[in-house]
Amino acid sequence: MDNTVYVGLSRQMILERELDITSNNLANVDTTGFKFESMISNDDSVTMPTPGIAPAAVHFVADAGVARDFTQGSLVQTNAPLDVAVDGKGFFTINTAAGPRYTRDGRFKLDSGGRIVTQDGDPVDGGGDIVLDPTKGGVTIAPNGIISQQGQNVGKISVVTFDSLAALSKDGNNQYRNDSNLTPTPAANAQVRQGFLESSNVEPVRQITRLIEIERAYDAVANMMSSTQDLSDSAIQRLGAVNPS
Amino acid sequence: MQALRTAATGMAAQQLNVEVISNNIANMNTVGFKRQSAVFEDLLYQTYEAPGSQSSDSGNIVPTGVQIGAGVKAGSVYRITGQGTLTNTGNALDMAVNGPGYFQVLLPSGETAYTRAGNFSANDQGQIVTADGYLVQPTIALPANTTNITISQTGQVQATVGNATAPTVVGQMQLATFLNDAGLDAVGNNLFMESAGSGPATAGNPGNPGFGVVMQGYTEASNVDPVTEITNLIIAQRAYEMNSKVVTTADQMLSTAVSTKT
Repeated sequence: MDNTVYVGLSRQMILERELDITSNNLANVDTTGFKFESMISNDDSVTMPTPGIAPAAVHFVADAGVARDFTQGSLVQTNAPLDVAVDGKGFFTINTAAGPRYTRDGRFKLDSGGRIVTQDGDPVDGGGDIVLDPTKGGVTIAPNGIISQQGQNVGKISVVTFDSLAALSKDGNNQYRNDSNLTPTPAANAQVRQGFLESSNVEPVRQITRLIEIERAYDAVANMMSSTQDLSDSAIQRLGAVNPS
Repeated sequence: MQALRTAATGMAAQQLNVEVISNNIANMNTVGFKRQSAVFEDLLYQTYEAPGSQSSDSGNIVPTGVQIGAGVKAGSVYRITGQGTLTNTGNALDMAVNGPGYFQVLLPSGETAYTRAGNFSANDQGQIVTADGYLVQPTIALPANTTNITISQTGQVQATVGNATAPTVVGQMQLATFLNDAGLDAVGNNLFMESAGSGPATAGNPGNPGFGVVMQGYTEASNVDPVTEITNLIIAQRAYEMNSKVVTTADQMLSTAVSTKT
C-alpha cells in the first residue's frame, strides 16, 4: 500500500522538474537563438519482494532526458551590419578561453583590434580570427558566410553542425558545449543572413498550456495520495474498533 | 522550487525591456537619437544527468541528459544606428549627417565626444557650438558681421562678411566614424564617447568614402518608430504576464503539496 504514495511522489518530483523546464522556456521567450526544451520521462519498474503474494513490478516515473527542439526561430531584421542569423541547421563557432562553444546568437561586434567578437568579447571562428580593416568601412556578409569589405574577400564565418544535436549541452550565455566525441562538420544546408537575428522558438501558448497540464496532473496525484491515506485511515478505524460493525 | 526563481528572472528581464522601450518612446522627438533594444541570454544550466552517462548497470546510455536552466539575464542593450529622417529647419547652422559619421565635440573636461545632433549655433566669439555651448571640432569661428553662411555637403564652411560679394572659406567640418558605432558609450545630452567596443575614431571629411555628407539647414530626427515601440511594449507586457503565471502555478502546486496532509 505504501508504494502508491511513493509512486505518486516519483510523479510529483518529475512534474516539479517539468515546471522548472517550462518556467525556463517562458523566461527565455525573448532570448536570441533560444531553443525550447521539454522533459522525457519513462517507466522505471522495480520488482519488490512482497511476502505472501506473487511479486509484481511497481512502476515508478523517472526522467530519461531533456529533449531540445531545434526548430528554426523566426528571423527579426535589425539592419546592424554585424548581426547575423543562421537560416537552417548550423551553429557559429566561438573560440572561448574554455574551448570552442557553439551558438545561434549572432549579435557580434568588433573589438579594438578589429576582430569580430561576441558581446562577451570572445572571437568568432572563421578558420582563425576574422579581422576587419576599420578604415575600409562597409561590411558585407554573403549567405555562404564570405565576408567582404569594398568588394574584397576578408574572411569566412564558419557555420558547423553535428551528426546528433542531442550530444550538445547548454552552457548558458546562449552557447552550447560539445562534450561528446562527435566532431563538428561544415553545415551544408545553412545560410547566413546579415542584418537579422534569430528569435527564440518558444511558443508561449504551448508553454502556458503545459503549465496548466502540469498543475492538473500534480493535483490529480495529490488526490490519489490523499485517497490512499483515507483508505488506510478507515482500515485502521474499522479494524481497530472494539465492536466492529 | 526552482521555477519560482526562474520566473522571477523572466519578470526582471521583461521589466528591463519595458525600461528600454520607455526610454525610446520618451526620446521620440530627440534630435539625433538612436533607438535601443535589449537582448537576452539564458542563465547557467544545472546538470542532473550528463548526456552520455549510464542509466543502468547493463550499460544503457542516457541520450540527451537532464539539464535545467536557471532563467534569463540581460545580455546587452544595444543601439540600432539606422538613419533618422532629415527635418528641414531653415537654420543656417543646423547640420545633419546623411550616412555614417558623427560630429566631434570638445567637452569641458578636454575629452572628445561624438554626436549626431547637429542643432548648432554660434557663441559670443562666433565659434560654432552645440546646444550646450561645447565647441564643435575642428573649431570654426565665424567672422564678425557675417551676413550669410554656406556649408557644402563636403563640409566646407563659407561666410559672406559685410558687403563683400564673394564668400570666404572659414573652416572645414570633419566627421568621425567607428568600426562598430553600436558599441559607443552614451553619456546623455545626445553625446557618445569612444569605448573599447566601438574601436578608435577615424576622422575624415564629409563625402569621403565611408563618410556621410553634411546637410545644412536640416537636423536628423530620432529613428524611433512609434508603431514598433508600442508593439514591443505589448510583447514585453504579455511576456511579463506569462512569467507571473508560472509563479501562480508553482505557488498552487506548493499549496497542493502542503494540503495533501490534512
